[in-house]
Amino acid sequence: MLALQLACNGIVTGCALGIVAVSFSFIYATTKLFHVAHAGVYTLGGYLAWAMLGHGFPAPLAVLASIAGCTALGALIQSQLYARLEAKRATHLVVLIASLGMLAVIQNILAAVFSANILRFDLPWGARVVHLGGNVRLTVTQILTVSVSLLAYAGIMMFSHGTILGKQIRGVASNPFLAEITRLQPRRVHVYVMAIASALVCLPGILTPMDFGLQPYNGVTPLLTATIAMIAGGVGSITGAFVLAVVIAELQNLSLLLIPGEWSIGVTFFIFVIFMLFRPTGLFAARR
Amino acid sequence: MRLNARKAIAAIAMVCSVSAAHADTIRFGAILPLTGPGAVIGTEQMRGIQFATDKANASGGVRGNKIEIVFEDNQAKPDQSVLSFNKLADLEKLPMIFTAYSGPSLAMAPLATRKKVLLVNAGAQADKLATASPYLVNTLPTIGDEVKILTRFLAADGKKQGAILYENDAAGIAGRDDFVKYYPEAGGTILAQEPTAFGQTDYRPALLKLADAKPQVMLVSITAGLLQMAQQYKQLGLSFTVAGTSFFADPDAIADSASEGFIHTQVRIDAPPALDAEFKAKYGVPMEFFVRQYYNAMQIMLTVTDTLLAEGKPLTGEAMHDALFRIGKFQGLIPLEFKSNTATVPLDINIMKGGKDVTLKQMSSD
Repeated sequence: MLALQLACNGIVTGCALGIVAVSFSFIYATTKLFHVAHAGVYTLGGYLAWAMLGHGFPAPLAVLASIAGCTALGALIQSQLYARLEAKRATHLVVLIASLGMLAVIQNILAAVFSANILRFDLPWGARVVHLGGNVRLTVTQILTVSVSLLAYAGIMMFSHGTILGKQIRGVASNPFLAEITRLQPRRVHVYVMAIASALVCLPGILTPMDFGLQPYNGVTPLLTATIAMIAGGVGSITGAFVLAVVIAELQNLSLLLIPGEWSIGVTFFIFVIFMLFRPTGLFAARR
Repeated sequence: MRLNARKAIAAIAMVCSVSAAHADTIRFGAILPLTGPGAVIGTEQMRGIQFATDKANASGGVRGNKIEIVFEDNQAKPDQSVLSFNKLADLEKLPMIFTAYSGPSLAMAPLATRKKVLLVNAGAQADKLATASPYLVNTLPTIGDEVKILTRFLAADGKKQGAILYENDAAGIAGRDDFVKYYPEAGGTILAQEPTAFGQTDYRPALLKLADAKPQVMLVSITAGLLQMAQQYKQLGLSFTVAGTSFFADPDAIADSASEGFIHTQVRIDAPPALDAEFKAKYGVPMEFFVRQYYNAMQIMLTVTDTLLAEGKPLTGEAMHDALFRIGKFQGLIPLEFKSNTATVPLDINIMKGGKDVTLKQMSSD
């Protein structure tokens, strides 16, 4: 019973992390920027939804407005910050520092506006428990997290492989110089990528705090785990990032069967360090 | 003649300065978590201090001197607390500072000793606080005092198979260590223990692992996130008894149905109905536990200040420290005595029932 419940919890956490990893991978593979401020966009999504629900807006409208807000912020960061730095030939280190600064700005604004207290989504239906057999119990929010994450993963896969813009993005990611020559306008594509990834990350940004509460500094830990999932999955592989995020979450949960909780994160990441020594390009790199 | 005029001017200036000193503003400090995961408790603590200060000032201050509190937000972080302490002690030259939370209080304790600033804690309970500094005084018992009473109560109630969920910081670890020490002494056996980080609110993996050990009772030694823990405990359908200390005095958690049946020790400190009504009229909420604690602590400090002013002694940290122990017994909201740095106070065992905290048994911390 314990193993099954832990495995189910791992799938929930992993699916949410998977979307963070996919969105981060989408940005990194195309722009080659380590967009740390993505953690701030993730957090903003939750706060926007919480504020709108608090003002009596229906949940679907609150979610759509939050996605729109995150999309706009992502596009704005790319067009007004990263693109300007790139135009001035700033190094990747400078862009990384700018991104860290942006993250601090977003977190501090959220803390100033909403306070740094743990805020709770007042959605009684989200806390309703569903019995899944085998004595496994999940809340409606947890089931929603898995469903929405799987749909988002399928959606981004279809978009990436089945639309013209998706193919253009893959083209820019594959060879930016050739993309420039063939008039794919990489800078314009980068803005699209950032907007799409920001919309994507807004989903776990809302669903995870519905379960655990909102805090302005919530986004950094998921982003760090997602980064590891992206690297271990193979940079540029959407499936790799998603699958490895689920594997990491499962390892963290199931390792509790063997070791105390305080060791679970350390042991999980130690396994990945060993894994990377043998396969530094990531698990799904060959399938790109 | 010129000399006499000078003497007269000097004499007038001296008289003016003396009367100004008599009608001075006395300033104290308070370093509390006003934002962050501990902000709900921190805000209660701030209101308790401010409410007592406002009442004192409204009745003419202490021997004609107005009282002012300089508040600093430490987000319950030790490093931030040290910065705030240095600011209040070195720049503001404040002789007494209120503190809360074990980590921050322990971080400031050596500085209090060195700079002879009186640190008054009415909220944190790690055992190390009892001996951290001669200048750190605690107006409530340590976790050890509470856990000792709690373990005896649980064992007497037939709950002799225990587990521990603890926060991986000074306060949480102190609770765990005390339970490990006193529960077996009371006849109990500890089956499992799991840590959690301060501010993190995913308790499900730890709760599941502890539940697998099939305990009759689980000690919860966390200082933030009790509501989230209670909700996840309920969602997982767990049925063992949840027990804790005065850390459970979280109004949101008590009001939530998920915490129904949680048992905890609680420092007994009641507010008279008239005072409670006055507080409610001002802040719109009842006078919760930590409001009462810090209101009481402020009253103690007002008594100490009054004594020193009556004796014509300077208001230094050292003088306040000495006066506190010289007076020894205080009668604020509760009878309280300083036999050591940690006061002896009345202690209850409560159960959360119907959204309220109901007293099961009354005792004393010693």
